[in-house]
Amino acid sequence: MPGMWWVVLVVAVVVLVATYLTWTASRVDRLHARAYAAYAALDAHLVRRAAAATAVAEATQLPTLRYAARIALDARPDGRDVAENDLTHQLRTVAAVADVAAFADLVAVSRRVALARQMHNDMVRDALAIRRRITVRALRLAAKHPRPAYFDVDDPTLEALPAAFVAPPTVQA
Amino acid sequence: MRIGIVCPYSFDVPGGVQNHVRDLAETLIRAGHGVSVLGPADDDAALPPYVVSAGRAVPVPYNGSIARLAFGPLSAARVRRWLGAGNFDVVHVHEPFSPSLSMLAVLAARGPVVATFHTAMTRSRALVAAQGVLQLVSEKITGRIAVSELARKVQVEHMGNSAWEIPNGVDVDRHQSATPLPGWPGPGGALGFLGRFTEPRKGFPLLRDAFATLAVSRPRLRLLVAGRGESDELVESLPVAVRDRVVFLGMVSEADKVRMLRSVDVYVAPNTGGESFGMILTEAMASGTPVVASDLDAFRRVLDSGRAGALFPTGDTAALTAVLARLLDDPAERSELAIHARRVVAGYDWPVVASRVVEVYRTAIEATGGVVTDETVDPVG
Repeated sequence: MPGMWWVVLVVAVVVLVATYLTWTASRVDRLHARAYAAYAALDAHLVRRAAAATAVAEATQLPTLRYAARIALDARPDGRDVAENDLTHQLRTVAAVADVAAFADLVAVSRRVALARQMHNDMVRDALAIRRRITVRALRLAAKHPRPAYFDVDDPTLEALPAAFVAPPTVQA
Repeated sequence: MRIGIVCPYSFDVPGGVQNHVRDLAETLIRAGHGVSVLGPADDDAALPPYVVSAGRAVPVPYNGSIARLAFGPLSAARVRRWLGAGNFDVVHVHEPFSPSLSMLAVLAARGPVVATFHTAMTRSRALVAAQGVLQLVSEKITGRIAVSELARKVQVEHMGNSAWEIPNGVDVDRHQSATPLPGWPGPGGALGFLGRFTEPRKGFPLLRDAFATLAVSRPRLRLLVAGRGESDELVESLPVAVRDRVVFLGMVSEADKVRMLRSVDVYVAPNTGGESFGMILTEAMASGTPVVASDLDAFRRVLDSGRAGALFPTGDTAALTAVLARLLDDPAERSELAIHARRVVAGYDWPVVASRVVEVYRTAIEATGGVVTDETVDPVG
C-alpha cells in the first residue's frame, strides 16, 4: 500500500511541528518569567539604595538628597528612570561630605543596583528577541505576557574612595 | 552558599583559566563557602579534594589551536549527575561558548548561572554556524563576568550581551613572601622579563636593545628572562661581551615564576599590543618589584596612570632605556613606585576579587526569583 507512506509522513511532520511549537511556547513563557523576576530583584535593589541614601541624608543633614531618595521611592513606573538618575546624581555629590563607612556602604549598594540592572536588561533583550520571531508573532504566543521594557538609566556605580581610606573588604560566607 | 564551578580545560595541563578556577575556588572555600569544581581530568590524576573529574579531555582543533575538551553524551551524563548531587545555590561556568563541559552545564542547569569570559575570542566561523545553539546557551545565563575590558567588549559587540568586569585576582601573600632566586638581584642591578620573547607583540627586542645600551655603562647589570624559546635565539643579536649577563631560565614552574619576579630590581613589560589585561603586571606589583611598562591602555589602567609603575611610549627603545637608567640609579623612586603599587594591587588580591564575584552570585540568585537579602544579616551560610 504505497498510500500509507503519505500518512506516515504527514503524521511525522505534524508531530515535529507540534513539538517545536510546544517547545517554543514554553521558551517564550520562560524568557518572560525571567525578565519579570529580574525586574523584581532590580526593584528591591533600587529601594535598598534609596533607603541607604535616606540614612546618609539624615546623618549628613542633606535635604536635597533626602528629597531625591523620597521621590525615587514614590516614583511611578513611567517616571522612575528620571527619579533614579536624579538620585544617582545626588549621590555622586555626597562623597565629599559623607563619612567613610556610610559612603562605602552606598558604593556597595549602588554596585548591586548596577549589576541587577545589567542582568535585567540582558533578560529583557532575550524576551524581546523571541517576541520578534515570526512563529511567535503569527501564533500570538507572547500575547498573554506584558511586553518587558529595558530599564534605561545612567550607570549608577559610584567611584569608591581611594583604597588607602577604605578598610580591605572581606569575603562573606 | 553552595557553589558549583565548571572548568572547561583539563587540570592536568597548566593554563590561565585553570589557575583562575583553582585560586577562586580555594579563596571561596577559605571564606566558608561550599565549593565543588567539575573539570576534565585523567581518572588517575591527583586532584585537589574539591575537584570532581568529568573524565578525560580529548584534544580538539578549535579556533586555530588545539583545545583539550570534554564534550559528548558521556560528559553530559556526568555533568547532570554532578548538578543533581551538588544542590548548588549558583553554578559558575567558565568560557561557556566553546563546546565544553561549561556549555553542557549551562544547558543542563536550572536556576542561577553565572558565566565568566576570559579570552577576547572574536566570532569564529564555528560560532556563526552555531548561532542558534549559542542563543539557547546565552538565554540560560543569568550574570556575565569578563576578566578584562577586551573580553567585555567582545561580549558587548559580538554577542550583544553586557558583562560585568572583574579582573583576574592575584595571590598577594604568596608573591610577597617568596624568596628570590639565589644570588639575585645582585649588587649591579637586575632587569626581568617573562614571556615568549619570540612573540613580536611581547616587545622583547626593545628590552634587549635597551639592555645592550645600559650594559655598556653598567658593567654588572644583568637581565633575567623566563619563558618559552631557545637561549641562542635570545642573545644572538646582542654584542658578544654582554651575552653572558643575560640569564635564561626557560619555561618555569608557577613557584619559580613567583620567585623570579622577586629576583629583579625592575620588571619590564615592553609589549607592543595585544595584551588584554596584564596579569603579569599585577603579579610583579604583588611581589613588590617596581614595574616599567609600555603605555598601552590596559597597562596604564593597572598601573594607575604611571603612579604604580613607570610608563614609556609604546615601541620607543630610547625612552625605555632612559626610564630604566633613571630607575636603576634611583632606589628612592623605585621604592616609591613599589609602595604605591602595593596599595593598588590590594584591589586585585584574591579575597577582594572573590568578594566581587560573590556579589554577582547573590545578584544572580535574586534575579532568578530569590529574595533580596541583606548581606550583613544574611542567614544563608
